[in-house]
Amino acid sequence: MTGYYAQLLVNGIIAGSIYAMFAVGLAMVYGVFKFINFSHGELITWGAYLTWMFSSPPFSLPVYISVVPALLITVGIGLAQDRFVYRSLRQSNPIAILIASIGLSYMLRNGIRLCWGSDLQTFDLPLSTGILLGGIYITKIQILMVLSALLFFSILYFLLTRTLLGKSLRAVSDNIELSAIMGINMKKVTWTIWVLASVFAGTGGILLALDTSLDPMMGMNSLIKAFAAVLLGGAGNVWGALIGGLFIGIAENISVAFISPDYKDFISYGLIFLLLLFKPRGFFGIAGGVR
Amino acid sequence: MKKFIFSSIALLFLISTGSGMAGDISVGSVTPLTGKLAVYGEGFQQAMLLAADEINAAGGIKGNNLKIVFEDNNSTSKGSVSAIRKLITIDKLPLIFGPASSSNFLAVCPIAQDNKTILLAAESAAAAITKCGSYVFRVFPSDLLQGVGVAELTNSLGYKEVVLTYVNNDWGVGLAEVFKAEFTASGGKIIDELPHAEGKTDYRSEILRMKRHNPKAIVNLTYIKEGATILKQAYETGLNVQWLMGSASKSPKLIDLAGKASEGVIGTYPTFSQETPQYKTFKAAWDKKYPGKKTPVFGEYNYDMVKLTALALESAASESSDDIRDALIKASQGYIGTTGDKSFDESGDVNASYGQWTIKDGSITDYK
Amino acid sequence: MDYFYHILIICLIYSIFAQSLNLELGFTGLYNFGHIAFFGIGAYTSALLSLNGVPIPLAVVGAITLAGIAGALLAIPTLRLSGDYFGIATLVFAEMAHLVFLNERDITRGPMGLPNIPRPDWIGSGISSLPRFLIVTFVAAALTFILLRRITNSPYGRSLKVIREDEFVAQALGKNTSLIKTKAIVVGSVLAGLAGVIWAHYITYISPADFTLQETILVLLCVVLGGKGTHLGPVVGAFVIIFFAEFIRFIPIPSEYIRFVAPLQGMTYGFILVIMMLKRPQGLIPESRKFTTTNA
Repeated sequence: MTGYYAQLLVNGIIAGSIYAMFAVGLAMVYGVFKFINFSHGELITWGAYLTWMFSSPPFSLPVYISVVPALLITVGIGLAQDRFVYRSLRQSNPIAILIASIGLSYMLRNGIRLCWGSDLQTFDLPLSTGILLGGIYITKIQILMVLSALLFFSILYFLLTRTLLGKSLRAVSDNIELSAIMGINMKKVTWTIWVLASVFAGTGGILLALDTSLDPMMGMNSLIKAFAAVLLGGAGNVWGALIGGLFIGIAENISVAFISPDYKDFISYGLIFLLLLFKPRGFFGIAGGVR
Repeated sequence: MKKFIFSSIALLFLISTGSGMAGDISVGSVTPLTGKLAVYGEGFQQAMLLAADEINAAGGIKGNNLKIVFEDNNSTSKGSVSAIRKLITIDKLPLIFGPASSSNFLAVCPIAQDNKTILLAAESAAAAITKCGSYVFRVFPSDLLQGVGVAELTNSLGYKEVVLTYVNNDWGVGLAEVFKAEFTASGGKIIDELPHAEGKTDYRSEILRMKRHNPKAIVNLTYIKEGATILKQAYETGLNVQWLMGSASKSPKLIDLAGKASEGVIGTYPTFSQETPQYKTFKAAWDKKYPGKKTPVFGEYNYDMVKLTALALESAASESSDDIRDALIKASQGYIGTTGDKSFDESGDVNASYGQWTIKDGSITDYK
Repeated sequence: MDYFYHILIICLIYSIFAQSLNLELGFTGLYNFGHIAFFGIGAYTSALLSLNGVPIPLAVVGAITLAGIAGALLAIPTLRLSGDYFGIATLVFAEMAHLVFLNERDITRGPMGLPNIPRPDWIGSGISSLPRFLIVTFVAAALTFILLRRITNSPYGRSLKVIREDEFVAQALGKNTSLIKTKAIVVGSVLAGLAGVIWAHYITYISPADFTLQETILVLLCVVLGGKGTHLGPVVGAFVIIFFAEFIRFIPIPSEYIRFVAPLQGMTYGFILVIMMLKRPQGLIPESRKFTTTNA
């Protein structure tokens, strides 16, 4: 019986590490540009579908190679979002940017449907029983998921704390006008944020798709979880997003022992509500700022 | 802006008067060509078109070509209602093939009944459809029969205690309820019962809960995608049980998606012999028209539905729906199609016998 | 002809729905992305009550009351939140409502939906009922229009706009902004509930699949395209969008391409939302800004 809870905990950590990867980009964009990017979820979906496209005919590249062009295009989509939509709206009414981001997300999601249909797709990977570790089953892909999350967050930590670019990123999220006056290259910072957000979302999407399967709604569903993670961590806080993601993943999976799996999504929804009501600044760290 | 609205209204009327060419006998079809059921819809459409082609090649109906007017319903009940309203009032069709998925079908059947339009179903199984009315028929057997079939299968394999899971929609819930009643009445015990949501990609929590009870057999009444995902993830999680499934997951696609995890699954399906001359003719015609394509799920039923309709239209005294309806009931009595005997009973349902299928060495065969 | 009645009824229902969102989004500046929840609550409540033998007028009143109460319950805690947080809270609220519709099978019959929702006897159910139903829907839409016009042209309505432009100014003017906003949400929810009620009794069948994010996008599009913050805008938006959607049925598309239609339509909707924000955020019918000069 303890094996059951241990398995739920491990599943929670795996799910949570992916939620955290989704949440980082959302948190950074919010931290600097102060809006919720509803189309962030579509970066997740496009990353996954593009990898799938490059790994199936006519390209038929091995999965680990198809990741490269797929992520490049995902980054392109992320940068294009900013270049063609958000940049022009930065000075306008906040309602405009929100509606635009919800429209953009709907457009990109239907783009997926147009290219690849509404049907569920799967990577053609050999099926095998998971590795049994002390009564807990874990698949190779799931190990890869956790390791990738660790690697990505380590790189991000290094980038933010040890490089000049990272420092300017943090400065900008503290005060965008002041940073511009101080001569920080805003173009470069903006660019970095969208590249990071796209790479994290795209990679997370690819891993999620490898673990389960692809469907056009995967991004939208993950976006809500990612948002819960961002809130939990305190908006704009990268490390909060990591802890928040893990927390949501674990809470969701453990809850299944007590409530019907139908209501599994209710956990993150309910959490969002409670947090908004009682702790809108998040549990970890101070609101605002990329830290 | 006003101009735009008025001109589009005018255009609507213009087009609406133009449909229906001379020399054609048209019937309508509300088919899921887009949306979540589009995977199936394409196959339904191809099977219907195959039947129509054959009818027209053999001289049509009273010398006229049979034409099927397809309307997409976006796989939603709202889309189905809009589509059927258009078919009834603009195309003025006396007979319509209803949409797939029982919930969409149930949304349109009062409209058909009120408008005295004949509505035919080829793949909707909900027991409630039986009560839809006198203008509603289906060539597909009701859930009631299949639920009994799954219970009998479970009993015959000697499983007294099972975990029951089903896809959380009209079809799954309806089927599960019939199964539950039948299985417990015959002395079986359901250790745990849990629905699983439609279209998810991750069912691990559900699987862990099933695994917790260490069942020997799990009754899994679900579709292809959901079924394949569950089988795969159960395999990865080391859940080793006998899976018992229904008819909706009996498809080569299940094997494509789940691979060796689908090996050994046993299920029931409304059976019809594949050795009859009717089936062989259908299969040959299918392979000729769509070479290299597998026959779609429920394709045979759609094919039979169109064939039977043609018979009714041929013998109907006039093109009024009441005459066609009388002719349809008459034509169905003793009609043996690809899927067996299609005689409508007084509530417009057909009978069926249930067979058992299993997956062995990566292909679907009859379980004996 | 009755296909045309049918489209008009759908247009009018959406125009009520869009007008109710407009009160919140257009006049008050509240980004409600979960408005479909109130439409759904109205539809489900009225359907369930009337299916259980409650007279239809009572069921309707019960339904819109419950939608209003739900609106108040959502508004009171979430209004403290800044704009985009309110947006996400409402979005999540709609997802939760959808999960409840789907999973509380003992009450809602879950995914099976509720068939055979009754209509008042004097409307009836056959083809002949369509003109009568159209009149009822038209009256409801017209009353909604008049009501919202009155509300927004009143001093209360002007304070809504002040809140939209700058909440601090409104507070500085001594307005109880959260009370004012709560009222707006309650009225918006009641009207959305009304649209849902009419929808349920018109289609006579509802299921959880009718109340999803997809519909939220559609109604948002009606408001934004028509012109948010205007009286006529959402009505025009609803007519344009519904006519557009039905018009597509009449384009002869070869059946092998028909599967591309819905995604293309979706892409177009999304694209319109984006392009409207970039190029014409005021919509087809721009809001007259007169009051700001006379009032400021």
